[in-house]
Amino acid sequence: MAAPSTDLPLEYSREELLDSGSYDEPLIAGGVRCHGGFEADGSYRSPRTIHRAPAVQAWQERLRREDCDLIQIDPALMPPQYPNVEQAKLLLLEGVREPVVRRLTIISIVEGFGAIIRDVGVPDLASHVVEPITGTSLDHLEQGLFEAHARDEAGYRDEGGHKQMWEAARDLALENPKIPGDVLMQMMGQGPGRRRERKRGFPQIDERLERMLATMAQVLAVEVFAMGAFDWGERLLSDSEVSAEPEAAGRMVSFIRADESPHVEYLRTGLSEVAARTLRTVDGGSIPGREVVRGMLHSTLRGLTRERREEQRNDIRGALIEAMQVHANPASLLERFDELETKWTPPEHTGFEPEDPEPQA
Amino acid sequence: MRLFVRAYRSLRIGSTAVAIYLLYKVPAWTRRLLQRPPLGDDELTPTHQRAARLLLWTALGLRGVLIKFCQVVATRADVFPPAIIDILKQCHDAVPAHPFEEIREQVERELGKPLDAVFREFDREPIAAASLAQVHRAVLLHGEPVAVKVQYPDIERIVHTDLANMRRVCAVYEFFDPQPIALLPLVQELTRHLELELDFEREADCADRIRDLFARDGTVVVPQIHREWSTRRVLTMELVGGIKITERARIEAAGLRPTDVMQELMRIYTRMILAAGFFQADPHPGNLFVQENGHIVLLDFGLSKELPEGFGLGLFELMFSMMTLNQSAMVRAFEELGFETKNGDPSTFLLITERMMKRSDTGRFEGEFTEEMTDELFDAIRENPVVSVPSDFVLVGRAFSLLSGIGASLGARANVLEAMGASTGATS
Repeated sequence: MAAPSTDLPLEYSREELLDSGSYDEPLIAGGVRCHGGFEADGSYRSPRTIHRAPAVQAWQERLRREDCDLIQIDPALMPPQYPNVEQAKLLLLEGVREPVVRRLTIISIVEGFGAIIRDVGVPDLASHVVEPITGTSLDHLEQGLFEAHARDEAGYRDEGGHKQMWEAARDLALENPKIPGDVLMQMMGQGPGRRRERKRGFPQIDERLERMLATMAQVLAVEVFAMGAFDWGERLLSDSEVSAEPEAAGRMVSFIRADESPHVEYLRTGLSEVAARTLRTVDGGSIPGREVVRGMLHSTLRGLTRERREEQRNDIRGALIEAMQVHANPASLLERFDELETKWTPPEHTGFEPEDPEPQA
Repeated sequence: MRLFVRAYRSLRIGSTAVAIYLLYKVPAWTRRLLQRPPLGDDELTPTHQRAARLLLWTALGLRGVLIKFCQVVATRADVFPPAIIDILKQCHDAVPAHPFEEIREQVERELGKPLDAVFREFDREPIAAASLAQVHRAVLLHGEPVAVKVQYPDIERIVHTDLANMRRVCAVYEFFDPQPIALLPLVQELTRHLELELDFEREADCADRIRDLFARDGTVVVPQIHREWSTRRVLTMELVGGIKITERARIEAAGLRPTDVMQELMRIYTRMILAAGFFQADPHPGNLFVQENGHIVLLDFGLSKELPEGFGLGLFELMFSMMTLNQSAMVRAFEELGFETKNGDPSTFLLITERMMKRSDTGRFEGEFTEEMTDELFDAIRENPVVSVPSDFVLVGRAFSLLSGIGASLGARANVLEAMGASTGATS
């Protein structure tokens, strides 16, 4: 984010938050017009940030002025990529391309799925939050913030979004590879038996409000962790040993990373605003927003760093071993592959554990 | 088959075809004689309705293939005008039952044993009767209740006779009409469907395959097949119960939410169609049930369909681009799926996508994606007739349209993106 400025307004229209302004040169990737573009000096500017970026900055400044914490997820919680860059390079150099193509394709689809955030129902927040919310990001979620996020991820009208940008990076680096037929099965194969129960963590608050906040907490965590995928993609696809177009493919991933930054910022701002306020409960009482937000982040981060990571790793590994069978010596390849794996143990604490109640006087 | 029955069927099919032909041609010839301009599309609506009613009447009288033909025509909104589609949509595949003695003979002939050597009980009245077969409840000797699907005796020969008649009618029509509607491909499509539906051994294989696909879920029920008591014309399977998928009041009384049922159904179909490329292509309400624990029961795998490699991903891209109103991605998806323009000009796709863009500006994923969008798409294609539609796409479109109809009966909407695997926890 840019340096703080106290002059920034706190109120924005939907049109402003969705405005990209004009570019000197559009971003064209793999023959597809994508969002974003280049300024006269050649620098890349993310879409819909003309007003959205200063808006988020203004809301964050307000939080600081009011002496409220801005939520920060510890990067140490981010699990390593599987396969990591060295493992993926080994596979590509040994001619086992399918797992890397599959991984890049899944990343592109998951990015596109991010557009589902526009379907998150926003309740009448003023009636559920005790303190006023005017001049906050919370007051702008439905006024363009969720929609901008959705358009960034899946594209809109004649502009491609992150989905198409990841596809372009993959196709540039790996020269239009054949897409494995089981990509969608890998994504949809998770039956309801393995889907997490949607238990209500805070039944004392309005159900729609809880769902919206839980979604924001989940998306924030995934957005923060996605930075690991961007590092992975940028390093791998810009490596001239394995990439046909290292510069163009790497740059494409760097543009996506730049576009994602406003998502992290508006989500942590919104959750911080809730944490600084009090929520009304359905029985007419109240609950500190801090308790709700911390509880949601704690449970999300526990899930993402523990059982979900193991599930994903196991799913990927199964397909990976199968793909290695095209190699002359799959057992030896698997051994070398495993030696390169990043050892990682999830940190003991998420940083959002329930706080001890205030000691009784 | 007795000769006079065959002659009667040929005569009915031939006379219906001539009557429909004349319905259109006599006014056209008259207007030409009087030097008047031909009737416009809107003015032809009453003629379309009369033609469709005549065809439906003959189909209900002759049953069998004609019923199936009406159903195929009703799925081709890309070829036929809405006035015809709306009438033929009413053509349900439910017919009066055949006499029990005929069924008993067929089962005994197929299994090579007397009925009571296999079944302790065998209900005389069927649970359901359709144009090719009927289903009876029975109990095996060891006490297990089963459903026995029995193909009508002689149905294969009736089918072949009717198809031959229809091919003849189409050939004559194409000879007389310089710019015919492509009816012959429809008959060929119907022939392919019927070949699938008449082979119960294949149906058993398809049921096993779909069951395996959902084995990890534990929430999708596909009846187990008793292979030892099944043949190409008799299918003996586990009897499974449930609430008919459109019975909203009973679903709610069981403590289930219609929205959850619809979402689960959409998940099952998107997984079969998009991910597995193999699906039960006949999701009408008679083939779908929900159990009190929320598990979905799938029945009738006669019309299961294998999609070409890459079709699922192409369709995913098309659906995704339609939902996100992404015009350029939509054009690419059309090409990947095998849509073709007769002159190879992709601007036709642009015309279609522009029409889709006007549909809505919400870009939401929750709602009547399937029916509104597939109807709109087929209308757009019909109005830009230089496009040919892959027949697999038609079958998939029909399946989604039927699912939408179920959603309407339940008063529930599915989030298609979530059904495709997206969850807010999976976003980045």
